[in-house]
Amino acid sequence: MEAISLSFQDTILQSQGYFGPYGGCFVPEVLLPNLAAIAAAFEDIKTDADFLAELHQTLQDFSGRPTAFTPLPTLSTQIGGAQLFLKNEGLNHTGAHKINHCIGQALLAKRLGKKRIIAETGAGQHGYATAAVCARLGLDCTVYMGRIDYERQRPNVYWMELLGAKVVPVEDGSQTLNDAVIAAFKDWVAHPEETYYLLGSAVGPHPYPAMNTYFQKIVGEEIREQCIATTGRLPDACIACVGGGSNAMGMFFDFLDEADVQLIGVEAGGRGEKPGEHAAKLRQGKVGVFEGYHSYFLQDQVGNIASTHSVSAGLDYCGVSPILAFLGDEGRVQFEVASDEEALAAVQALARAEGIIPALESAHAFAHAFKMAAQMPKDAIIVVNASGRGEKDLFITMRHFQEESLKTYARKLLND
Amino acid sequence: MKPTMPIMAHLVLGYPTLAESIRTAAQYVAAGVQILELQIPFSHPTADGPVITAACREAIEGQHVTVEDSLRALATIRQRFPDQEIIVMSYLNRIFTYGAARFTADMEALRIRHLIVPDLPVDSPMAAKFSTESLQLVPVLAANVGAERLEKLLDMPFSFYYLMSDFKITGAGFSLHPRLKAIIERIRARQAAARIGIGFGISTPEQALLAAKEADIAIVGSALIQAQYRGELDALLTKIAAAFEPAEVE
Repeated sequence: MEAISLSFQDTILQSQGYFGPYGGCFVPEVLLPNLAAIAAAFEDIKTDADFLAELHQTLQDFSGRPTAFTPLPTLSTQIGGAQLFLKNEGLNHTGAHKINHCIGQALLAKRLGKKRIIAETGAGQHGYATAAVCARLGLDCTVYMGRIDYERQRPNVYWMELLGAKVVPVEDGSQTLNDAVIAAFKDWVAHPEETYYLLGSAVGPHPYPAMNTYFQKIVGEEIREQCIATTGRLPDACIACVGGGSNAMGMFFDFLDEADVQLIGVEAGGRGEKPGEHAAKLRQGKVGVFEGYHSYFLQDQVGNIASTHSVSAGLDYCGVSPILAFLGDEGRVQFEVASDEEALAAVQALARAEGIIPALESAHAFAHAFKMAAQMPKDAIIVVNASGRGEKDLFITMRHFQEESLKTYARKLLND
Repeated sequence: MKPTMPIMAHLVLGYPTLAESIRTAAQYVAAGVQILELQIPFSHPTADGPVITAACREAIEGQHVTVEDSLRALATIRQRFPDQEIIVMSYLNRIFTYGAARFTADMEALRIRHLIVPDLPVDSPMAAKFSTESLQLVPVLAANVGAERLEKLLDMPFSFYYLMSDFKITGAGFSLHPRLKAIIERIRARQAAARIGIGFGISTPEQALLAAKEADIAIVGSALIQAQYRGELDALLTKIAAAFEPAEVE
């Protein structure tokens, strides 16, 4: 590349879909017209004052932005190292950062004249946010969900249906997120002309990685302002969990060209290092091309996609944003792992000390932040992205912390 | 054996077993198909319907078929039928992991001239790694291909074009999109020598006849795999062959 002097931000926004060797648009030819139209619309809206005004108004009125920036004094004192802060994306409408790119993409779909939205969802958070935004904007909504996720995340299925979405359980393959993504792509192949695929992370074919980063970057922009207002300066480190990478890119983007701000992504270490026991693709994955993009994937020796595990459904995915793959290679973002147990412990620690229950996904970032804070001086500042709130994890965390109470409650519910 | 019908017959290598897929290929050749389309199985065939997805799943999870195994089976088929036209199909990650240089060299050794990779746009930088003097990618076009895009592909150019009969995944019923006629005419006008196949959803001899009449070749996949599963492969091949007989006389 000749443009060596480009900043990381410019490299990403002007990329045309390639971030170093990663990214691209590896989809069947039948989808290329759609992706080209979306990419062109994405270029247009970046300088369209009316669109951006509507976007920001909707983020404010419908989702409640800006979200809070909260000091964690008790935990900081207990740990005795760096001062910890969190960005509470869990205070967004529908409970997580996902709604930021859902609002952006749904407005873009309307601009393209599309009336039907399809989406994939794993735990149901992206589907829930998509269904809410579609209801608000009057768009028809179909959400694909692996049969296993459909059964185990029943409350989210109910919310989506209450919001008027059609939720389709996917019976193929391992019946989880990957299969939902593939089912959504197949729907798009069969209905390319009237349908918009609202993809839920900074992954997939161009322009989704750059576009979702763009719609999420408000998170980092608010952190910059709030951190300066609160502490008088920028943070020393920003920490986010990494599943596909949307909340991490949202937090990191505004700081990419601030060399003094350390950026750390925390992947799901799951139950162990064996294949199928974790979802740490940047630590243990191999380069490949799947679901439309070139990046790191968890796969077997011969190029079949491997199964993954994480206690948090939002991190339980085989691939990772090509932008994060690039930033990792460049040394701009470091990647760490936190295990299921460490994440659960972090939920409890944050709940008791600070009165905030984070999503299990975000808890991975906290688990690493606690370790890191202990190694840093008292005047250092660490910000953690609380990408979602923990209420959605009711049955998972309750089963871990109070299994007997859960069983008693479940029995009572069924017998009433 | 001389091909007697303008059919491209698809199978998944390693389904239900490697040996049986080799026997199926022989059955296709014996029936007189013009082209064998041999798919290297992948864990997540993103553009295939339920029948081929299930066949891939069995080949991967039941038979643990690797790219190396697939190539060995291909070599056996090539040895047995030295003059048979064979097109290889694979999703990108399998052959990317195997190595592009190594894979294209193997294709050359097996005298494979065309490669279908559904998730690899034929004009991407990655596509160049899978194209050599003797190996060409096959564009899989649908009715929504834009005029500008079509001209760009015709400029490259390609010698085989695969057209999706309509907007659908493989094996999901048959219809011909009204816009295909114009696309076929344009390809003919620009590249008279290029061959055009129509696939997706062809399950009866009548549909195969119709597709072959519109284009050059009818591509049949899921219907054959399903027939094999039910033990009705010979019957279906015989029916298709019979449908094409009058055309042969003419």
